[in-house]
Amino acid sequence: MNNLYNIAKDLFSTNKVDLIIGYKSIDSKRTKPIFVSSNEDVDHLVFNEYSLNNLSVYLTRKDIKKYNKIGILAKGCDIRAIVQLINENQIEREKILIISKKCNGVVKDFGLEYNEENIAEKCKSCKVRTPKVFDLMIDSEEEKKLPEPTISSRVNELDSMTPEERFEFWRNEFSKCIRCYACRQACPLCYCERCIVDKNIPDWIESSPTQRANFSWNLIRAFHLSGRCIGCGECERVCPVDIPLSLLNAKMGIVTFKEFNYATGMEIGEPTLVGNYSNEDNEDFIK
Amino acid sequence: MYRIKKQDFSKIIDELIKTGNRIISYSNNGNDFKRINSSNELSINSNFKPSKLSLKEIVFPKTEPLFYYKRTNDNVELKDIKFDSEKTIIIGAKPCDAKAFSTISKVFNWDYKDNFFNSKYENTIIIGLKCDYKDEYCFCNEVGLSQSSKEGSDIFIELDGDDYFIYILSEKGKNLFQPFMSYLIEEIKESKVDDIDKIIDLNKVRTWITDNFDSNFWYSISQECLGCGKCAFICPTCHCFDIVDENYTYFEGRRMKNWDACQFGKFTLHASGHNPRDIQAKRYRQRIAHKFKYYFDKFDELLCTGCGRCSRECPVSINIFDVIKEINAK
Repeated sequence: MNNLYNIAKDLFSTNKVDLIIGYKSIDSKRTKPIFVSSNEDVDHLVFNEYSLNNLSVYLTRKDIKKYNKIGILAKGCDIRAIVQLINENQIEREKILIISKKCNGVVKDFGLEYNEENIAEKCKSCKVRTPKVFDLMIDSEEEKKLPEPTISSRVNELDSMTPEERFEFWRNEFSKCIRCYACRQACPLCYCERCIVDKNIPDWIESSPTQRANFSWNLIRAFHLSGRCIGCGECERVCPVDIPLSLLNAKMGIVTFKEFNYATGMEIGEPTLVGNYSNEDNEDFIK
Repeated sequence: MYRIKKQDFSKIIDELIKTGNRIISYSNNGNDFKRINSSNELSINSNFKPSKLSLKEIVFPKTEPLFYYKRTNDNVELKDIKFDSEKTIIIGAKPCDAKAFSTISKVFNWDYKDNFFNSKYENTIIIGLKCDYKDEYCFCNEVGLSQSSKEGSDIFIELDGDDYFIYILSEKGKNLFQPFMSYLIEEIKESKVDDIDKIIDLNKVRTWITDNFDSNFWYSISQECLGCGKCAFICPTCHCFDIVDENYTYFEGRRMKNWDACQFGKFTLHASGHNPRDIQAKRYRQRIAHKFKYYFDKFDELLCTGCGRCSRECPVSINIFDVIKEINAK
């Protein structure tokens, strides 16, 4: 039987992994990341609709990179992050063993009951609920129909605003930002050793959470992630002041798809959007 | 102790708004707080869970200028900040939030007297509210508080049907209510002491932290920590700040005081390149040790009021109370 316990146990007994990054249940509606390095702890592992964290965020960390072979529990969306990290040469495909399952969505946040109302927005428009890239699949339920996504209508709503109205919308949202950088820390693609916001000679982006600097920070982050964000939504989930960051990311995703027919993290070996130039690239937007 | 009708309390609030006070109340779901312009916007609910951000920004804003500077040919001109004398009255602070003000006041007045903090704190009046909320993250009872502790409050209220019981606790509170005493009916109420079940021996926790600075435990409990500063930024007692100069032009600028957090990798990075807290485990140890040992050693108080915000909001579900329980069990 391909259940998680058997797979994990087998991986350790046959020395196929040195570490498994997975989830552990804390109560019926919460999990937390867990690092399992031997057979003894595999019975803690769970993989369910409360497995919210995108664990690929740990793959670029120094203390994790020292392991030779790392097993990781990853939902379809998380795998896109892993693929993107591989395509950006941050991790090696051979060192990662992806354990996945068919996914029927996760809850928006911990503590919520799994039902139609509480399913995370990102899941509703997910194209990789049955993952395309993986090493092992655990037995899982077939895909069932999830509620209709609302994200694109929200993006359209913003698009239909005048620039002044849109600016006002974001001014209002960004004014809440306290610059805790939880968005950056939770993001698997924000792996820079030295983030631009930490550079202070010169001070590219002021560290004060003022309107001007908050705009700089949030927009720079959106630009740095365009064509790189895989839409796991962790930034928005962890934001203590509820800035709707996924609206920014979704818009960037829509633009990169429309202009370059590019969807991030779908295929290993695919050239990255900003790391690749082609004569066929659309230039219509250069005015 | 007094009794006051809810509608009379609202009248007092309207009067206080009219006389130019800044009144802070919660939003209808209790998630955040804001300045209100009428008692109709008051939202006093003892069942609210602690707001997402704590009230600390009222006395310790996320960013504030310390002074402005201007370079002239061979001189630098400095312009000081004028402190605001507007009174701020917080309505319905939970005991865990009310206590935090007096707790951090100690560090802002220990050696250097921080007038940026003091000018705001002196002008802030805290009306605490008995709390009826408890979830698996709350642990105020373990850190010497309770749902009805009045520490830190200038005035304290308890809901009682259509009335409030009202306690006037400090000089500030007395002065505020002086003009409104006719609304209050004196009453003697048997004060009920909350049943407090404690499972943590804080002395033991402190001793263990002292003796186990280099323990692997710190690594094992913080391996999943992302090093985001969310816990510190939403904490009512975390008070670290960074000071930076911001130039508008080559000649002019201002010096700012901004929130900072010991969970950031660059918090202790020295100019030499050396970082004494080079891994997250050391930073997490700092968080726990500062709250439950260092602050106590220095100020005889814990730097934690048990509000549970950090655990409730942690992106990777690290629960500070679980950590303390684990230490206690050692």
